[in-house]
Amino acid sequence: MAQVVGSKRKRGLEAALVYAVLTVLVLAFVFPLIWVLGLSLKTRLQIFSTPPLFLWWPTLENYADVLTRADFGQAFINTMIVSMSAVLLSLCVGVPAAYAFARFPFTGRTFLFFALLVMRMLPPIAVLVPMYVLFSKLGLATTRFSVVLADTTFALPLVVWLMRGFFEDLPAELEESAWIDGASRYRAFWHIVLPLARPGLVAASILCLQLAWNDFLFAAVLTNNATQTLPVMMAAFNAGDSGVDWGGLTASGVLVILPVIIFSFIAQKHLVAGLSSGAIKG
Amino acid sequence: MEEFGGSELARRTLVAAAPRAAWRRPGIMLDRYFTRVAILPTFLVMLGVFGMPLAFSFYLSFTGYGQGQRLFSGGYVWLENYQDLLSDPVFTGSIAITLAYTAAAVAAEMILGLGIALLLNMDLPGIRICRTALIIPMMVTPIVGALCWKLLLDPSHGVINYWIGQHIVWLGRPDTALAAIWIVGVWQSTPYVMLILLAGLRSLPSEPTEAAAIDGASRRQVFWHVTLPLLRPYLLVALLLRTIFEFRAFDNIYAMTGGGPANSTMVLSMFTYLMSFVRFDFGLGAAASWLMLLMALLMCLFFISVIRRREVT
Repeated sequence: MAQVVGSKRKRGLEAALVYAVLTVLVLAFVFPLIWVLGLSLKTRLQIFSTPPLFLWWPTLENYADVLTRADFGQAFINTMIVSMSAVLLSLCVGVPAAYAFARFPFTGRTFLFFALLVMRMLPPIAVLVPMYVLFSKLGLATTRFSVVLADTTFALPLVVWLMRGFFEDLPAELEESAWIDGASRYRAFWHIVLPLARPGLVAASILCLQLAWNDFLFAAVLTNNATQTLPVMMAAFNAGDSGVDWGGLTASGVLVILPVIIFSFIAQKHLVAGLSSGAIKG
Repeated sequence: MEEFGGSELARRTLVAAAPRAAWRRPGIMLDRYFTRVAILPTFLVMLGVFGMPLAFSFYLSFTGYGQGQRLFSGGYVWLENYQDLLSDPVFTGSIAITLAYTAAAVAAEMILGLGIALLLNMDLPGIRICRTALIIPMMVTPIVGALCWKLLLDPSHGVINYWIGQHIVWLGRPDTALAAIWIVGVWQSTPYVMLILLAGLRSLPSEPTEAAAIDGASRRQVFWHVTLPLLRPYLLVALLLRTIFEFRAFDNIYAMTGGGPANSTMVLSMFTYLMSFVRFDFGLGAAASWLMLLMALLMCLFFISVIRRREVT
């Protein structure tokens, strides 16, 4: 922003004000997570002490408890399997389509493209009701595979929208010269376009991974105790009203969100394009 | 659109250069169908896991289907499911609650997001750290974030009640439960708006602002008459996306109140969920989800028309 008017002193005051406001905002936005992180490092007695403790010697016993629970390990493995498979499926299915959308005209192109957008935008519960009925008739209702399929309904449009943008930004001359040299479309796509689009593939996989990892609704309906994912298990912590295990809940919460936050920071540059469904390039 | 021209030219060159006999080779035959082969899996997935279930739920919404029945054995009740829903005060109430919640959440997210984006757009040292810190809530698994807030809002051991020095049962009172959920929603989603608007502010040309400032416009005037109009497309995208996503709000409500107390946080997603997966009345659930779909579809079409207009210009 151009600052045409304003003396040096006034500008210094303004900067101080901006910092002050930002500090308050950052504290407000980050505080809940810091507090929960703190709770996870307290003993049961310390958690419930009044007034709340602001200084204490941290303990890892909650984490030790959570990590030795059999169901946490199982849920972690389930979440890994489900989200990785959803990413893989969406990429395998969506990336060639994104390339076709970016490069070749075909009938129904615009319609199909916007149908994909609608698919991403419609409320998941509306798809889930019939999906559950159909899957339970097919004997898929409590399997991890059913969650993978359900997650794909939202991950696939994301991949297509994001990758289309990346492919459009690549110069078409490279593939064209490959075609003229006699390479088939498949070879040019596989050996020339895909390697060039690697940053896009990484971003798309991370954003899909985030989507699948964070999904609660699909997993809650389409899994049972053996196939449940971490978010479903987290919600179950909360179900017993008599005694919510604060230490266990906060420690496992931290463990669930840590990987996602790390992934998201890696893909930070592409977050905007991902979350605006390609309506804006970040 | 130039690329198409280019690739079409290249395709013709390829066809002309290829020896005639080569067309009999299956590889080259397949090459002609490249586009179709590339699209087919996506098309099948869309049809299989999206189109077909939706068509099936449309059918379900006209039947009385309960769990354990054979797939197409539910008897037709025609519009009875829809009639039941529209005469059910809980359902009509949930439409009102959903719309009110969506409007309140989106308004707060837009105002707060725009404010933060404007602050972050200033070139001050250390501002990147603030940006990074401010987007963390959006990365947190929603259900985990909501459960964390539930602990903060706990009536007897929560830190919020300790600070305000009162014993408020936030999530147990019809007048505060929705407000609490609103706070959590705003906390989670303001970063989305902020990121989109920040991307918009960064992409704005600096000349109009500078010209206005040189012409003696005050900063407030520059903001209202130059920056905001230029930012309009980004504001519109953020507004529509947030509306679409708040309309389907579910995770926070499931984790914090489950639709209660006294249905005061019963949004449409929650209602449909309870109808289908707690009462196992899939006919009613399908009807509710179709009504919800229609409302969401309207918003989507509006969104699409906005993007299309932008792509044309």
